[in-house]
Amino acid sequence: MSSSLRALAEAAGLRPVPVADDELHAHCPEEEFTDRVAALAGPGVLADLFATTAIHRQARLTAVLQLPGDVSWLVVDTTLRGGAFQSLTPAVHAASWYEREIREMHGLEPTGHPAPAPLRLHAWPAGPPPMGTGDPVAHVAPMLSPPVARPTIEGQGIFQLPLGPVRSGPQEAAAFVFTSGGEDLVMVSLRLGYKFRAVERMAEGLPADRALLLAERLAGTSAFANALAFARAVERAAGVTVSPAAERTRTCLAELERVRSHFATLARLADATGLLVAGAQYGLLVEELLRAAAALTGHRYLRGSLRIGGIDASCDGPARRRLQGLVAGWARRAAGLRSLLGETSIFQDRLETTAVLEPSYADLHNLVGPSGRASGADRDSRRDHPYAAYAAARFAVPVHHGGDAAARLQVHLEEIEASLGILTQLLDGWPEAGEPVAPPQLQEGVALGWAEAPGGEALALVELDAGGRVRRWRARPPAAVNWHPFAHACRSGNNLTDFPVIEASFGLSHAEFDR
Amino acid sequence: MTRWIATGLRTGIKTTRFPAPAGLGDDGAPSAVACHWRRLTPATALAAAALCPTTAITATGSATSGELHFDLGACVLCGRCVREFPQVFAPVPDPRVAVRERGRLALHLRWDPGHPPAPAPLAQAAAVVRARAARLFRRSLHIRHVDAGSCNGCESELQMLSTPYVDLHRLGIFFTPTPRHADVLLVTGVVTRNMEAALRATYAAMPSPKLVLAAGVCAVGGGSFAGGPMTQGPLDRCLPVDVYIPGCPPTPQALLHGLLLAMERAEDVPSPGTEGDDGP
Repeated sequence: MSSSLRALAEAAGLRPVPVADDELHAHCPEEEFTDRVAALAGPGVLADLFATTAIHRQARLTAVLQLPGDVSWLVVDTTLRGGAFQSLTPAVHAASWYEREIREMHGLEPTGHPAPAPLRLHAWPAGPPPMGTGDPVAHVAPMLSPPVARPTIEGQGIFQLPLGPVRSGPQEAAAFVFTSGGEDLVMVSLRLGYKFRAVERMAEGLPADRALLLAERLAGTSAFANALAFARAVERAAGVTVSPAAERTRTCLAELERVRSHFATLARLADATGLLVAGAQYGLLVEELLRAAAALTGHRYLRGSLRIGGIDASCDGPARRRLQGLVAGWARRAAGLRSLLGETSIFQDRLETTAVLEPSYADLHNLVGPSGRASGADRDSRRDHPYAAYAAARFAVPVHHGGDAAARLQVHLEEIEASLGILTQLLDGWPEAGEPVAPPQLQEGVALGWAEAPGGEALALVELDAGGRVRRWRARPPAAVNWHPFAHACRSGNNLTDFPVIEASFGLSHAEFDR
Repeated sequence: MTRWIATGLRTGIKTTRFPAPAGLGDDGAPSAVACHWRRLTPATALAAAALCPTTAITATGSATSGELHFDLGACVLCGRCVREFPQVFAPVPDPRVAVRERGRLALHLRWDPGHPPAPAPLAQAAAVVRARAARLFRRSLHIRHVDAGSCNGCESELQMLSTPYVDLHRLGIFFTPTPRHADVLLVTGVVTRNMEAALRATYAAMPSPKLVLAAGVCAVGGGSFAGGPMTQGPLDRCLPVDVYIPGCPPTPQALLHGLLLAMERAEDVPSPGTEGDDGP
């Protein structure tokens, strides 16, 4: 299977070296990097692009690619001699935000980028960029040139309406500027990065099992999936094997998190349309899922159960029967609510043709997760790059092509059914007693880890030093991809009052994006 | 629409009493960790401090003399000390963990040659209990929430406060969309550089008297992000804090206790150290 991505890489002039059955690494000179990656990103998918800068080491650029129908990942990297590199954005649109991030975080200049304005830093004082300390080469580049002016629209009756960063209810901090002529939403400008905590930088130099705590706190509502991507990267880098029983437990917990997160998205969507009974019903389900998680692992958001090399959660007979009963009950209630939502025309009317993201746009941005699958992007890392125990489970990956809020709703509804189905299949084999997880001996290495988070594919590339400490952790959670086309989706003939529906239908995490 | 009404009615009353009777709360999710200090040996203290990923357990000294500082305001509830030293550290299921004084979340122990460990008296910080303000808010409280840089775990739990299981509104507590109507500023997350200005502006826009709640270990003590390059640290470095609610994230029941404490409708009960030797 892996021959096709490999053949493509070889055709592009790279010499890929397999580091695992499903992971190829290739190195190329700086001058060739942009052309080679651009050639691969045509038939393939650019999943990530990032820089690594560290003390007394030359800056490096790394691209992660995949090819539909191929289980392999391809990691291409290059070493930079100076503080600039040739921008990939004119050839590959999806690279745009990655390069803006590289510029503001590492101080490396993407030459030829059409609009390299900062993404996440506000009023950052002159000085070293937050992710680039100690690299004398990177510091040659000035920190930030004056920001590129944001596009504005002028005209009679056109006004701007700011929202955030302090929101009306208990929501995450983010700011939006709406341009409107009264009712219609002409343009939305995003201002993100309010929650930038420099999680990746804080992990550098920590032993892997301590950095795992940070991975669990990258985003609370997708804590398990992001931590699983990190743990898997560490395990693959250090050659640690995980027992089939632990893989099964990880799969069950990951699906529990997905169901809970999807129910929460539906609760917010119902509340945004004023359907309060539906909001309360989904809210009940979310709370029950959180309590079930606490009963299994001692934490409502599944923190603390994941270990490098295993997992600490078990389910004895009575607990398993209780959980099986709960899963059956959730499935029954989810089906009932789904049929009710389908009959509620005032709800459906708010969603149909709202915030349309055309399939061509999903392709352009390599969209992941439910938002991508609602716009025809048939990608799901559980099926495309099987990990944990997903190869043993049967599940459907729903794909719709409407690209509107109604299609996103549909994908969420069908994924809940699929995930509860996976739980039903795997719960029978859930080990009765947890296995003791001895801290594995870690060694030097680099590897990619991934997991399908509720919002889509979460990637982690981890570089360990000889002592098992994290030299670099690159986290690319799904929201890092899916925020990119959000503003475009807002423009498709929507009204100001549609914004809560739009926001809820995408269900994008700010903590994941800001990091 | 009638089917929705029927669905709602059929569900019945789901609201849990506060404090929840055993088994009906947050299903075993601990709200804190307690230290059975009588069973602590100097060797355990030093080993536990080495194990703790934050500054919740810090220890200095040797087998004969030294000190241990145990601070719930820095504990991310990772459970490592509980797993490794279950005879000393125990999970606390009681959600009533919020306090008015930051120091009440901490325990300081000393051991000297020939003496068992004993808690050292903490310097009492001046009590910042604004009793009059709290009395004003006894019947009803309007909350302005600011996410100053959280992981979204705390927001998720705050959203759970409005679900039928908790139903905040029955207690006269509401979230308000404007600082002008707010009695209390509820802050989640470690204060990031990018959010500091918005946080201060929100506080300034609120009318007096006003209270400030730090919800979650990031706001209380920095949590996993204490000392980060992009953070301004815990909330009380920026604003005067009236109630601290530890937890990562605090459960809905723990948040409720913090809010009721701010309204003087609940007791300030916690103690991070357990004197009894009845064991976990």
